[in-house]
Amino acid sequence: MEVLEALRKAVEEGHPGETENLVREALAQGVEPMRMVDEAMMPAMRTVGEHYKNQETDILRILAAARSIRKGFELIEEQGGSVSREKIGTVILGTVEGDLHDVGKNLVAIMFRSAGFKVIDLGVDISEKQFLRAVRETPDVSIVCISSLLSTTLPEMEQVVKSLRRNDPEKKYKIMVGGGAMNRQLAEHMGADAYTENCVEAAEVARTFIV
Amino acid sequence: MCRIIFVREKKEIQVPEGTTVLEAEIRAGLAPDAPCGGHGICGKCLVRILSQKDGDRADAPGSLVRACRTEVRSDLWVDTCTDPEQEHVILTEGFTRPVPCQPDLMVHLVRLTKPEPGEKRSDWERLLLALQAAGGPEPSWVRPDPVLASSLYERRQEAAEWWVIHTKTQILDLRREPGKQYLAAFDIGTTTVAGYLLDAGDGSQTAVVSRMNPQAQYGADVIARANYALTNGTEPLSRCIRELIRQMLEQLAAEAGVRTEEIFQVSVAGNTCMHHLFLGISPASLVHAPYTPALRQSLVLSAAEYGLGIHPRGQLRVLPDIAGYVGADTCGCLLALRPDQRPEVTLLLDIGTNGEMVLGNRDRLIACSTAAGPAFEGARIECGMRGAAGAVDHVSFENGIWHYTTVGGQPAAGLCGSGLIDLVACLLRAGLIDESGTLASGQEDPRVFMLAPPGESAREAGVYLTQKDIREVQLAKAAIAAGISLLMEELGISEDEVACVWLAGAFGNYMDPASAAEIGMLPKSLAARVQPVGNAAGQGAKIALLNREEWEQADALAEQVGFLELATLPTFQDCFVDELGF
Repeated sequence: MEVLEALRKAVEEGHPGETENLVREALAQGVEPMRMVDEAMMPAMRTVGEHYKNQETDILRILAAARSIRKGFELIEEQGGSVSREKIGTVILGTVEGDLHDVGKNLVAIMFRSAGFKVIDLGVDISEKQFLRAVRETPDVSIVCISSLLSTTLPEMEQVVKSLRRNDPEKKYKIMVGGGAMNRQLAEHMGADAYTENCVEAAEVARTFIV
Repeated sequence: MCRIIFVREKKEIQVPEGTTVLEAEIRAGLAPDAPCGGHGICGKCLVRILSQKDGDRADAPGSLVRACRTEVRSDLWVDTCTDPEQEHVILTEGFTRPVPCQPDLMVHLVRLTKPEPGEKRSDWERLLLALQAAGGPEPSWVRPDPVLASSLYERRQEAAEWWVIHTKTQILDLRREPGKQYLAAFDIGTTTVAGYLLDAGDGSQTAVVSRMNPQAQYGADVIARANYALTNGTEPLSRCIRELIRQMLEQLAAEAGVRTEEIFQVSVAGNTCMHHLFLGISPASLVHAPYTPALRQSLVLSAAEYGLGIHPRGQLRVLPDIAGYVGADTCGCLLALRPDQRPEVTLLLDIGTNGEMVLGNRDRLIACSTAAGPAFEGARIECGMRGAAGAVDHVSFENGIWHYTTVGGQPAAGLCGSGLIDLVACLLRAGLIDESGTLASGQEDPRVFMLAPPGESAREAGVYLTQKDIREVQLAKAAIAAGISLLMEELGISEDEVACVWLAGAFGNYMDPASAAEIGMLPKSLAARVQPVGNAAGQGAKIALLNREEWEQADALAEQVGFLELATLPTFQDCFVDELGF
């Protein structure tokens, strides 16, 4: 289908305006919103992610593609369409208390969505209590992701990871950490299940956690 | 204990086994450069470990290691590879708005008379009445000073006429001769510190001194330093900056040929983190959302309590902060430029690790801070460096010919901020970078543009730009451009209405506005309206001392400026992404 192919290309190249136009056109042609998501937008995001991993493109392109997808989603939902479906798992994510930075976290959310997860984004400046409450209110949660950019919030990060760990003796969910302040060593020390350097890897590692 | 010998500096100290070479350098007082705060990330603290028998030769071959990751296990001969003579270019000059020299430091001649029999008033009260009669302040404003009061009886016996050196609220000294009084203003930057000595009599500048901020040994940026303070306490950071200010005051006095006791007031402007660390305030609140300062208003403190070594009753005056990441340095810039008194809209841009900006006019002023990152200060750029000897400061590309200049005309050693944006602008013009910022594939390595090949460069591998460097520039310039655009949106104005763009700070002073516009850091139409204002924060610190009305207005000015927190603005991320391309 021509319009879906064009939509895929617009997202891949990161043109939000073009994406909106094509979504509008597709809706006018009566294309199912889920088809736009499954056959155009998500494959485009995966391609960009793949390029990023092979160092053929960079974070800027991912940001642009992510923004295009978000614009597309907003438009579809505005028109009464739905972009949700059966998910492979549920992810809770948020930026740790004391930190308001969310560019990276938002990218992770997009990559998780494109990998087929249901994402509950708690936002920024999320306290230990808020993480615990979210986990309690989401019995089917499979992964909790915590992000931190400023290294000054590492103590809070450690606190949240330890507290989530204690809260889940049966290991029902995995804990993933990331962001500018983190590295593998710190993640291991805190007791997280995984650390990834970027959003593409995050989604890949997350998939391996789902059996 | 192990001996560690720094061959270049000819210093030797003893440290416990297991100490890192970086810690040893700090203990030896070498103030090493450790941009990442000794976390083994940046690789800029390289030192050469010399074998024992070559220990007396600074150029001996040996292994290059990261000082912060190398523990001392035995006696060690170390070459820090740092030229102690290396001069950094520190900007001290700035745009000066003329203000009348009316400091809050006055000298009046009074008569100390013997009290009449039956007199109820104290010596102190009679001194204040005499001072008021001579043109001094209303007595009730003046803070009683037991130490000075205890000297009044003896002074009265010694002589009747005394010169009183005072402010509106405090008596600082009584003297037989009026003498001369000096004022010292400081701009404490994260990287550099500038100090100015002023004659309180006529406002003339009698000496200028600039130094690197020794806190650099605890990290290059405010977050790294805050981290150090949160882990180890603020004391080491406070002590080292106060000690630097004390030394600079000595140096200022020596250069002007005056005694440090003749300096009566010191003013300080710095970003919020420097402000907190200088005052010994924990930066915890500053670096945790929602990023508020612990203390914001202007302060008048005792200089002696901060170990500044000026007149024993000398004052330390601290300019107010505006918000979490808009500090007293921005307030200094505003005092120097007073956009709040102008009908036309102006934009003030101070680009460092954070880009602070203030937009508006006398009706409304609004500020924001963007995380521009340290790219323009040389960090996170592979061949990046600060504006020291050998830094490429300008690049041009005309008729297919590349040309560059360096600081001091020395062989190219790296790229500083102004050279970096010139180079990116030229690469765009030459078609070697596309609008997404991708470097065109070229010769042997497609991801690198070689500016100064190894042969003509002081750097072993040459001076070049990598694809990753360009991304860093994109992130930094997009943050600034997004900040400008969102401020304009908030005020509801267009580029055309901005009459003037004041660029403060060293980078703003040396960068080419046309290049900045070409890479999209500034809206194109504003490039022609750029006016570099140099070290405006330092100028503001001077004005705060030179004119008491200006000082008194500082708090109101800081209060008047609105603050836009970009991190919580839903439109920020979209705007930022829009600005990433070229």
